[in-house]
Amino acid sequence: MAAKIIANLLVAGGTVLFRAASQAYRQAIVNGTRAGMTAEGVQQAAKSAKQLTLREAEMILGVESGSSWQDVMKKYEHLMQANEKNGSFYLQSKVYRAKERLEQEFQEQGLPTDGPEGGQQQQQQSGGQ
Amino acid sequence: MRAFYKGGFQPEMNRREAALILGVRESAPEEKVKEAHRRIMIANHPDAGGSSFIAAKVNEAKDMLLGKKTGGSSIF
Repeated sequence: MAAKIIANLLVAGGTVLFRAASQAYRQAIVNGTRAGMTAEGVQQAAKSAKQLTLREAEMILGVESGSSWQDVMKKYEHLMQANEKNGSFYLQSKVYRAKERLEQEFQEQGLPTDGPEGGQQQQQQSGGQ
Repeated sequence: MRAFYKGGFQPEMNRREAALILGVRESAPEEKVKEAHRRIMIANHPDAGGSSFIAAKVNEAKDMLLGKKTGGSSIF
């Protein structure tokens, strides 16, 4: 008998809470969109740190645009070594990602990226220029 | 082997990133922050083959972690 009352109370309480929560959620979204925060906006903000631009990659390694792969690898290895000994893992990561980004760029342009010698053996036919 | 963090630096540095850059806890004492900054700056010094971009980030990280600690009373 008492159990039934308690059960009813719990269900009623739960429903009230659930309805309040969903209303709050909806209101938060409305407030957000009014403040200019859309789903894509939030994604873009998260992305801009993830999308390492070519320019930032060059700045991280300290190379100029148009540098040879040799130069890139020299800076990369120096920075990786220096930060392996006396840097942070985070900085190492950035150096690594910068090199990765530059590698991608070189490959897209059909330039050789095999090792510091800069591709004496490999002949890469670029798809288009 | 740990997986490298993805992407570039944050568009605007925050305390969390500053702590990661220096390899210290956000709550690290001033002495630790300074010691880490010195060590990492030497390793990444532009005059010694480092990148000035990274050096700037390391400096910014130190300022961020120390600035907040001392209440950021500087008007500059």
